[in-house]
Amino acid sequence: MSEVTVPAAQRAPEAESVSPGRWVRENLFSSVSNAIQTMFFSLVLLGLLRWVLGQIFSEEANWTSVATNMRLLFTYNYPTEQFVRIWFAAGALFLAVGASFAAWNLNPMVTVRRVGVALAGTGAVSLVVGLIAPDTTPSAVRTGFFVVGIGLVALALAVLKVVPEPHRRQIPFIGLLAGVAGVICGVLWFFPFGDYGFADGAPTAESGTIDSSTSLPVTVMFLIMIGTYLAGRALARMIDLGWLRRTMIGWWVIGPAFIVFLVLRDPEFDWGYVLAVDVPMGAAFALGGGALLYLLAKPSRSELARVIGALLVALALFHWVAAFFGWYPMLQKARFSFALIAVAALLAPTFAGERAARLRFAGGWFGFMVLFHWLLTGINTPSTLDIAAPPFLGGFVLTVSIAYYVMLASFPLGVLLSLARTSKMPIFRVLATTYIEVVRGVPLITVLFFFSIMLPLFLPGGMGISDLAAVFAGYTVFSAAYMAENIRGGLQSVRRGQYEAADALGLTTVQRTAFIVLPQALRVSIPNLVGQAIATFKETSLIAIVGGFDLLRIANSTIPNQPDFLGQKRPALFFISLVYFVVAYSMSRASRNLEERLQAGQAR
Amino acid sequence: MSIADQALTEEMASRRDMIVCRGVKKWFGDFQALAGVDVTVKDREVMVVLGPSGSGKSTLIRCINRLEVHQEGEIVVDGVEMSNDMRNIEKIRSEVGMVFQQFNLFPHLTVLDNITLAPIWVRKRARVEAEAKAMELLERVGIPEQANKFPGQLSGGQQQRVAIARSLAMEPKIMLFDEPTSALDPEMISEVLDVMKDLARGGMTMMVVTHEMGFAREVADRLVFMESGDVVEVGTPEHFFTNPREERTKLFLSQIL
Amino acid sequence: MTSQTDDSGTAVFTGHTRPPIWRNTSVLKWLVQIVVLVAVLAVFWFLAAQARTNLSAKGIPVSYDWLDEPANIQLGEGIQTVDTEERRLTMSRALWVGMVNTLRIASIGIIVSTIIGIAVGIARLSKNWLARKVSSIYVETLRNVPVLVQIILWLAILGSLGKLTADSGPIPGWVIVSQKGISLPRVFLADGFYQFVSMVLVAMVPVWFVRRSLKRRQDREGGNTHATGFTLAALAVIAVVAWFANPVMAFLGPIFGSVESAWGSIPQGLMQLLLSVAALGGAVLWIRRFLDSRRTPAGLAKLIDDDWFRMIFAVVASLLAVLVVVRGWPGLSSWIINSGSDLFGVIADKFGDGRGSRPIDAMRPTLSEGRFVNYGPTGLTMTVFYASLFFGLVFYTSSFIAEIVRGGILAVPAGQSEAAAALGLSRGQALRKVVLPQAFRVVMPPLGNQYLNITKNTSLGIAVGFSEIVQVGQTVYNKNSQTLAVFSIYMVFYLACSLTISSVVNTINRRLAIVER
Repeated sequence: MSEVTVPAAQRAPEAESVSPGRWVRENLFSSVSNAIQTMFFSLVLLGLLRWVLGQIFSEEANWTSVATNMRLLFTYNYPTEQFVRIWFAAGALFLAVGASFAAWNLNPMVTVRRVGVALAGTGAVSLVVGLIAPDTTPSAVRTGFFVVGIGLVALALAVLKVVPEPHRRQIPFIGLLAGVAGVICGVLWFFPFGDYGFADGAPTAESGTIDSSTSLPVTVMFLIMIGTYLAGRALARMIDLGWLRRTMIGWWVIGPAFIVFLVLRDPEFDWGYVLAVDVPMGAAFALGGGALLYLLAKPSRSELARVIGALLVALALFHWVAAFFGWYPMLQKARFSFALIAVAALLAPTFAGERAARLRFAGGWFGFMVLFHWLLTGINTPSTLDIAAPPFLGGFVLTVSIAYYVMLASFPLGVLLSLARTSKMPIFRVLATTYIEVVRGVPLITVLFFFSIMLPLFLPGGMGISDLAAVFAGYTVFSAAYMAENIRGGLQSVRRGQYEAADALGLTTVQRTAFIVLPQALRVSIPNLVGQAIATFKETSLIAIVGGFDLLRIANSTIPNQPDFLGQKRPALFFISLVYFVVAYSMSRASRNLEERLQAGQAR
Repeated sequence: MSIADQALTEEMASRRDMIVCRGVKKWFGDFQALAGVDVTVKDREVMVVLGPSGSGKSTLIRCINRLEVHQEGEIVVDGVEMSNDMRNIEKIRSEVGMVFQQFNLFPHLTVLDNITLAPIWVRKRARVEAEAKAMELLERVGIPEQANKFPGQLSGGQQQRVAIARSLAMEPKIMLFDEPTSALDPEMISEVLDVMKDLARGGMTMMVVTHEMGFAREVADRLVFMESGDVVEVGTPEHFFTNPREERTKLFLSQIL
Repeated sequence: MTSQTDDSGTAVFTGHTRPPIWRNTSVLKWLVQIVVLVAVLAVFWFLAAQARTNLSAKGIPVSYDWLDEPANIQLGEGIQTVDTEERRLTMSRALWVGMVNTLRIASIGIIVSTIIGIAVGIARLSKNWLARKVSSIYVETLRNVPVLVQIILWLAILGSLGKLTADSGPIPGWVIVSQKGISLPRVFLADGFYQFVSMVLVAMVPVWFVRRSLKRRQDREGGNTHATGFTLAALAVIAVVAWFANPVMAFLGPIFGSVESAWGSIPQGLMQLLLSVAALGGAVLWIRRFLDSRRTPAGLAKLIDDDWFRMIFAVVASLLAVLVVVRGWPGLSSWIINSGSDLFGVIADKFGDGRGSRPIDAMRPTLSEGRFVNYGPTGLTMTVFYASLFFGLVFYTSSFIAEIVRGGILAVPAGQSEAAAALGLSRGQALRKVVLPQAFRVVMPPLGNQYLNITKNTSLGIAVGFSEIVQVGQTVYNKNSQTLAVFSIYMVFYLACSLTISSVVNTINRRLAIVER
């Protein structure tokens, strides 16, 4: 209970720098065994580096295959003329990232010296690579390594010399952000990569810089991110930070769904039908349900609310039973809405209160229903996109989307399972434990196969499910079991006294769980959940086996089957390894930072 | 006169029964924590429970708001019997406040949110009203300036005062204190005891498990001495500290004073 | 309240009022649970019914009869790849080959990745800057790239190697690396191995008793009685003798053979009876233990509603189990009988019948018709499929194990080794008796998790065409559409592996556990 906040400024500054000679003596040759280790590991390092370089620059490796297929790798067959949608989506994401940085006041505390050392290190590695690169390396590339290496080392030395007390001086976050953005944009604008692509099925190659249709939007993205970060910081000084954070969390939960299903997919609404069926139905659930909940949320009506809730549960179940036997037709989203209103009615006594609280409760339902129906209508409407192969998602976009939605969808499931597993009720415990242990006992690939092959067989007649949706369902079911275990760790860290205090105050079980136990448990589980997010992101590569066109599938089978790049597997595989590495590594670094911050004290 | 009603003055005996325990028994596995306890607490009475550790005094007051479930006997709080009945449990818990040895504040909520949580969600008060009341209570326990801090930023004594304010925010008829000062550094004990004395003077019905003999002597209407899950002796402070009847009570008091 | 007042005015307790059912917390608690349980079972029943209808409509009802049919599958590698007159390659045999392949790669992978992981983990804590840097680059690179990508990349790299010829390799005839795979000299278990092991085990029994008495004497009288030295010496002597004399143990063959036939002749009804008795007995035992736990010195504590629900539930569950054994699934009993007798048959085959006496043998890589020999007495051959899966899994997993090892060593406070040094233990003793046991305790659970992961990840062999269980199973159900049956086999197999690994880890952990308050 005695967490102490450590203000950033009070953390110990980095140690004084020592002279390079002394550093080498102390760290590399302090004793005989140390010297032997230095020799051994330099040999290992050089050998490995040389081997990897030999693989990358081998004679057969044709890196044009990667450069030409960049668009395929990132967005698969997304139609070129609609590409503005991709950029819009990316803009929305960058905006959210910038705003979130501001809302959580990210400050990684990087000193000038650390940046200098990192630059010098990169330069040195670049020089070594240039030196030991195999003979098959193109001479331009080798020269490039030398130029970059010398340039970086010189820059680093200059920075370390010019800036006084580099180990004390910190670079503000905005500086880092702008620096990274500047480097990326500068490289895109001025570095002569050449411009590659497909024209009428044949690869084209031009020397020069990358086409501005790529570099311009990327630059705009970064400007948006920096702009929203600055705006967010300014806003944070004026308004409550908690409110900004809640807004951002809301955006991260809902926003991506809209990007994928409404922006990228571009549903072709049949407005006549939408106005005749979808809008009235959505309005009926939103308004009718809101009114009902407003009435039920009066404290004196708690018994009535329970009775009506139970009746609504029965009604919702009946709709599904009816669907099973095919008694009467009903839109699937109506069935879901009935189930949701039943749950909300059961929760009404828990969240009941004064007029303001009741209005908030009903209003929350209203907003939720509007979003829910809008999204489902969008998902159920055919897409306008003219795409050669059916899935409109592919490549990196697919990888990221699946990982994101799997985490998002398995979260509530995982919370429920972990609560059931730690509950005092034996049947719940047994059911949850069985589920978790069975799912964790089998490999992901069998679960994915099972869902992609078997799910259609389990569905009642007439109900279909797309391949990608089946895989997504299987992955969610799988991920929920791991999520449950991660959250269980957090639940076990909540002390018994917290439960007792909540009970003694008269909170109900639902209130105790929602207000006291889960917030504390989730905070403890954050590092584990980030770890799971990284694992989920990496394991999306298994989708390649069950038929999705993700990064791996494109690199391993699409590109090597193109007539111009027959059998070219290694370059693309190396490239996607790099993509996976960059994303996973930055996530793990970020989570380590977060962990340190959480350990340092109750973050605020 | 039963054990439960020993040492009552005429005036007190005529008051309403707030807590009645009759033959309360409780086992933890093989271990019998309560061996048929009979105790009655009257309206506006301050009862201090004494006893060596493991004597069942904490278990007893934890049974009174069902943090532990007693197995035999009956507990009646303000006319409502503690049983499996959901409505009774809700009613008793909202009428009985409890203060713990380890404070048990919610570390993820500010002091103000700690206090307003239950009034808003259990008593269904409006937030503004609940916050006004919370500030009033913080004034009363002497730390209004800490309202927006987190519990982790407060000292132990301050935390315990917040915990008392949190219980009072539910406007309880009865307050239970489970060794409220045992986890505190010595210099902070008095600030918590002062708040408790104020409460007692204000006419709150209180049942206090404590080792603070000064508090017991000054404030308590009656003392109960428990050992091995049994009530050994009930009496006024005067009776206890001058002339206890039982040998075991004498021995205990000689060790602790 | 039903209390009365006796003559002296004391309230006498006579009993509780029972609250109405809809407000009784115990009743509600169980009602909710039972409703959810019924709902879950109903959903499963619905789904199963649906699947049955859909499958019957397609003309492929779920059955396991196909297990005995000939497979006609091309298996890449394994203990049996071709169908011959003497050994039929049935479907079940093909799946068995897949399982053995899975277990083979998983077990070797576990050993190798542990060794690499420990080495890298220790290097990450080295005083040498370069060692720390290189090992952390190793860890960060390998664990941030998906294992499947690594496996496929290995396949691409290995596939780009030179063609396999008689003089391939870095060391022709000894070490061969080519696009068909990698082959090294191999030490393997020969015919006499099982006889050898059983002989050593039998001979070690008296040695064990002597060792115990020596240890006791050391405990009693102090000094050093060289118990461990004696044991090792005896083991060496016994091993040498058994190396030559192991055919003596051939008589075990017929013994296991007769156990096989005895087990096989258990009538099905008897097995059903035994299983039913076990189910009922389990319930009775559970209830007795439960009641014991509620028993107090003052007699049986009053049972609350909750307790009654529990006991009724135990009885119902056991009755259901009996019903399943007797009526629902009589095949279970015959399966236990058949597989039990098969097991003893397999063991019996390992003994006798003029088996060669050498328990262990060694071979160099051999080629026949320009290809590696699939299985049997040859070098240690890894096909490219095996090798890419193996390298991918081992390097990936070792990066996680390295982190676990590092964390485990860091978790032992420095004060522990200082305290050991202060007591006068040598550095080796301190490491063995103080530091390692504690580090081990921290390391064991996550390590077990990694072992589970490596076992499950062998299923990625399907991406490179390695014949492990999932790949073989997929070939099977593509042939006969028995998807559900094959998936049930997957599930049972992997759950058995998981349970085995986790129970081994748990056992070790329990042994190491420090009793803490």
